[in-house]
Amino acid sequence: MSDAPPSTESVLAELERILVEVVGDDLLLDGPITLETSFDADLQLESIEFVALSEQLLITYGEQVDFVTWLAGMELDDIIALTVGDVVGFVVASLQG
Amino acid sequence: MPQVQANGLSFHVQVLKTNDADDSPRPKVVMLHGLVIDNLSSWYYTIAPAVALHADVYLIDLRGHGRSDMPTTGYTVEDNVDDLVALLDHWGIDEPVHLFGNSFGGVVSLALAHRHPERVASLFLVEAHFAVEGWGEHMAGSLALAAFGLDEDAVQNWLAENADRKLSRLAKRAERFLLETSLIDDLQAEQPIGWLAEITCPTFALYGSESDILDRARELENKVAGCELEIVADCTHSLLTEQAALVRDRALTWIDRVG
Repeated sequence: MSDAPPSTESVLAELERILVEVVGDDLLLDGPITLETSFDADLQLESIEFVALSEQLLITYGEQVDFVTWLAGMELDDIIALTVGDVVGFVVASLQG
Repeated sequence: MPQVQANGLSFHVQVLKTNDADDSPRPKVVMLHGLVIDNLSSWYYTIAPAVALHADVYLIDLRGHGRSDMPTTGYTVEDNVDDLVALLDHWGIDEPVHLFGNSFGGVVSLALAHRHPERVASLFLVEAHFAVEGWGEHMAGSLALAAFGLDEDAVQNWLAENADRKLSRLAKRAERFLLETSLIDDLQAEQPIGWLAEITCPTFALYGSESDILDRARELENKVAGCELEIVADCTHSLLTEQAALVRDRALTWIDRVG
């Protein structure tokens, strides 16, 4: 990885790639994934798929992206309500240090 | 995807460790989930990240569940204990672990504590199931009823027309699990456990006041020496998700005390 932290657009593209890998490309039948897309209501992601997604992001971006500590501060309802933008924003902020 | 080969199967696991500068040894916590539509995400979404700030947390999709293999046979409690032992060996964990068991995960936890007491430091049980007189028939009966329902054309048609992607997938997986594996037969063959009084490790048990298995709470309290029991008002068997904050609070207190 280069020294410059990745942009919102590049993290969004990577997240979409991982989602297709985890879930399958029928995920995109309803249109492209945007920052406003919700994992639960829009994508109908199974909870186990969200676990897989967060792990793949960790593998891609490294331990600086500390999902476990981030999720530890959330309640169940907060996690269910997460949007793609929330996760992308968290990754970008983590990598900016 | 972290898949681990153990006991002849591929298991989906998640090991949660936080970026802690402190290198001092941390307690090891293994969390086991409930039956059929459950998987490790029920812990991941509720208490696992918070516990992982204080302990190394190992989450496992039990055989047949989540993203682990679904063999056609081998779903007794003892089969699950064999898996757990193989996974602990895979991770090189020979120190005693703190076992967290929700529902069916509770009976697997109890069974490991009975068979290998040297590998279990404590038990933290949420709505733990375990075999009492008639349990096998009861569980098998409930699951067979569900399987029968899922197999019905009317149910399939309803799912096709009304269910969202998530529900359809869960139903399909559950149908395969119930109809194409020996799960129901294996549970039916489970015998009531007569060794509860032999459990000696520190044990904490949480049950909901409206739980359909509240009798297990009293039996644990009566038979397991030093078992601490808490009944949570107005909660059902789904205590873990209904009162995640409370369970998390109790779990952190527990690890602080026994970890």
